[in-house]
Amino acid sequence: MENQAGQQSTRARADLLTAVVLVILGLAVFYYAYTMPRLEARRIHPATIPGLVPMALSAILVLLGGLLGVKAWKSQGDGSWADFFAVFRTLEAARAVAALAMVLIFALGLVGWLPFWAASMLFLFVFIVTMEAVLTSEQVNLPKTLIWASVTAIVAGAGIYYLFAELFLVRLP
Amino acid sequence: MLDGLILLGQGIAYFLTFEGIFNVVWATLLGLAIGILPGLTATMGVALLVTLTYNMEPAQAILTLMCVYLGSIFGGSRTAILLNIPGTPASAASSLDGYPLALQGRAGFAMGLATTASTLGTLVGIFFLALLAPLLTEVALNFGTYEFFWLALFGVIISGQLSGSDTPLKGYIAGILGLLVAMVGMESLHAHQRFTFGVSELSAGIDIIPAMVGAFGLAEILGQIKRHAEMRPTSVTDRVVPRFGELFQYWRTILRSGVIGTFVGIIPGVGEDVGAWSSYAAAKRFSKKPQEFGQGSHEGLIAAETGNNAVVSGAMIPTLTLALPGSAAAAVLIAAMFIHGVRPGPMLMIENAAFVYQVIAMLLLATFANLLFGLSLTRLFIRIVSIPQERLMGVIAVLCVVGSFAVTQRMFDVYVMLAFGVLGFLLREMKYPMAPLVLGIVLGDLLDLNLRRGLGLTNGDWTPFFTRPISAVLCLIVVGTILLSIPAVGRAGRRLVDTMTGKRRATGNS
Repeated sequence: MENQAGQQSTRARADLLTAVVLVILGLAVFYYAYTMPRLEARRIHPATIPGLVPMALSAILVLLGGLLGVKAWKSQGDGSWADFFAVFRTLEAARAVAALAMVLIFALGLVGWLPFWAASMLFLFVFIVTMEAVLTSEQVNLPKTLIWASVTAIVAGAGIYYLFAELFLVRLP
Repeated sequence: MLDGLILLGQGIAYFLTFEGIFNVVWATLLGLAIGILPGLTATMGVALLVTLTYNMEPAQAILTLMCVYLGSIFGGSRTAILLNIPGTPASAASSLDGYPLALQGRAGFAMGLATTASTLGTLVGIFFLALLAPLLTEVALNFGTYEFFWLALFGVIISGQLSGSDTPLKGYIAGILGLLVAMVGMESLHAHQRFTFGVSELSAGIDIIPAMVGAFGLAEILGQIKRHAEMRPTSVTDRVVPRFGELFQYWRTILRSGVIGTFVGIIPGVGEDVGAWSSYAAAKRFSKKPQEFGQGSHEGLIAAETGNNAVVSGAMIPTLTLALPGSAAAAVLIAAMFIHGVRPGPMLMIENAAFVYQVIAMLLLATFANLLFGLSLTRLFIRIVSIPQERLMGVIAVLCVVGSFAVTQRMFDVYVMLAFGVLGFLLREMKYPMAPLVLGIVLGDLLDLNLRRGLGLTNGDWTPFFTRPISAVLCLIVVGTILLSIPAVGRAGRRLVDTMTGKRRATGNS
């Protein structure tokens, strides 16, 4: 039960931070929509200006963000911000961040720098080894992981390349 | 009626070629595999596969996507039964009774029951699709700019209201974010660039396919990798194919769940999971043995599976007649239809009536293939579950990158996919539903264009938005939905109903 209360408190704090982001985003969008050209030179009716709907949507976003903030503030419970930030120091968080970092390196760095098949194989090998052997709390048979990572990387990397580049004639980067 | 049957017959005959059958077989098997693998959703499968259908003839491409969609909803029940982990969110309700049956050593029977119920659910949905699509098209032809504005708003609001698991507030926020994303790019009324900040790639707006691949693909990969669930399926040793009598005794449940699923499918953006849960709740309420629900009830499993599959056919009704997606996967199907030159909407029945019946034929073929493979390849499919998650998610990540790139063969779409992947992951972790976000992106232009066009036609007068009969009804539904999601109004409404029914009871008694 205590764990459930802790989770609720963490969620409430996350909601509070999100609410702040949403209100700021809403205000920024409203500003840009309000300052959008009114196209008077083209004799556009004021009720059909391009900024009308974004202005309305951003105003609603500010309102909803505010409501979320109030709701989250009221349901913070006994937890603390230290408990909230502890969520980011778990193995789970490390796995998610590492996975995202590897995908970003693959998509933004390796693709285009190496041929697509080579980039895919390298990414798959590193991804599998990191997730199966490094960022895990379980006992690992490293040689087995390395062999499976190599096999998966070669078969999947070559397979995806063949499917898209050769069969579907996509000009891969 | 006869014309419809002739068109349906022609539709089936059209696909009964080597190419058609080949596409049905591989796409259904792929769909089943996607459904079986926890973490891969129907929407993600359809979004990733759109890329592979570019070079296909339009009808064959949509057939392929439809088979994957239906197959993955079918397949989701396998892991729900064997692992107590739903393969797709649509199968969450199936795990309540499916897994207890597996623990009793009846996993094969549970899967057979789920497969047959799914088939019957789709058939009920197909019946309503054939019946309602032409009628709805006739109604939709009377829709003007005011009605389409309300329809777009209704889609986002109702989706936000029903899919917000934590609070409707988060559903609404997701919907508004989706609508704001749709504002990026050149607006349709005056050709003005909005929120492009000088980035030329943004002038055409955010493409739905890379956005969906990110929000449903990359976001799901990050979530699965974070959770790191170990999968140990229970073995299957018993009979798979259910007997006729074992199903027939639940004909009322099947019919009721099929109808509920179909109508949930018609509601924009609500999706298969709501169809399954609504059908399950209704079955429990009307059951003679409600105490067995959650303990391995055949009726509960049948209700959930009939309900979620009927949604697929139901979702096609607004998708085809109004271009309003009935589910998140249907939103991708709309994008795919546009890519292949098919324009869903009220004019589809007039311009290309044969296509509507081709879609019914596609659903029939996909259902038949699912039944066949679902009953015969059960043991083979279980092996898929034993693939370690890390290897699978790595491969899916490569597919997300290549899939989003292949849409227009430009790196910008990969950046869009990555951005939506991160956004989708963060939103999911904080319990924001994805369906309203997607629906917002799809319906944003419809809402924006019709609101400003309507105001332009009336010289800024709002009255027709509220006084035209269909507009007024839609407006009342939207306002009612929003008001009912406010706790104080909901409580007041319940008190009012209680008072009124109490008075009526008192009057009746006296």
